Amino acid sequence: MNEQTLDRFRTEIRHFYLVSLLNLVFAALAIAFGVSSIVTAILGQAAYPAIPGLRVLTGAIALICSGLGISWVVSTVRVFGGVEAIRDDLEAAGERITDDGITCLIVRMLAHYRDNRRIINTMILVCTLGGCGFFMLGLLNSLKALPFSPDGFGITTDNLLAIPAMLLTLGIALASLLSSYYFSRFAKAWDRRLHEIEESECALKKTLGLDES
Amino acid sequence: MSGRRTVYEIYWEILVYCRTPRSFTAIINRCDLNSKSGQEYLEFLIVRKYLVTTRDGEKTRYVSTPAAAEFIALFSSLYQKLFDSQPDFRL
Repeated sequence: MNEQTLDRFRTEIRHFYLVSLLNLVFAALAIAFGVSSIVTAILGQAAYPAIPGLRVLTGAIALICSGLGISWVVSTVRVFGGVEAIRDDLEAAGERITDDGITCLIVRMLAHYRDNRRIINTMILVCTLGGCGFFMLGLLNSLKALPFSPDGFGITTDNLLAIPAMLLTLGIALASLLSSYYFSRFAKAWDRRLHEIEESECALKKTLGLDES
Repeated sequence: MSGRRTVYEIYWEILVYCRTPRSFTAIINRCDLNSKSGQEYLEFLIVRKYLVTTRDGEKTRYVSTPAAAEFIALFSSLYQKLFDSQPDFRL
């Protein structure tokens, strides 16, 4: 068996598993934070006296972000499930994996990618949109942290409390944009492999005696 | 194995699985095929002499022939060659 192939395949699967897992965590955080922002906006617990209409805008963006977060979780779970099963089998086989064993896992990964190609492309889009949405939400939340008040400038406890929320939102935005970037790279790598497989099918056809030319 | 596979991937899986004699039911279960398509794949491989049937009492078993080894080896080398270059995906 080619050790290099095993090492490279294992590295890719482990890294993609990590990206999918992080995606799942951040998608859950995104939903939680989006819902909390909606509740805050509806109940009007956060007052924005300096900028009228900001509460409505924040609520609307939070609603969109929550929707994107739910879509993000649903998509990630499906992709994550398949990758997790392949990774578990790869880890269970360890170094004693046979030539057929590694080929079988490569075929499984290709089949999983073919099945989820559209979902992965949707995830790239959802993560990009989610990242932009959360970035805007972070900016809007950061306005709370600015020392605006009808009486002038003044740093209050409420202003300081808004800073962690703003940082969390910006963190989710960054994770979302990074996920989009990594999923794009993953899709690019496996699209290239699918293309290579299509090209090499001629040799298989010939061996099976299906090549009439 | 399930999911969207090419015919060559299905042929390869059947041939590897049938290195030891297998029943029709075991093959279609293992390769996630329905009876009709399973029958078509097996017939094709029998016609190409990659698979032969053996009798085990009243049961029919399918087993790969030495000729299948060439296809299995080529298939494995082509699929493992996909990782010849540095990993395209890493953190």
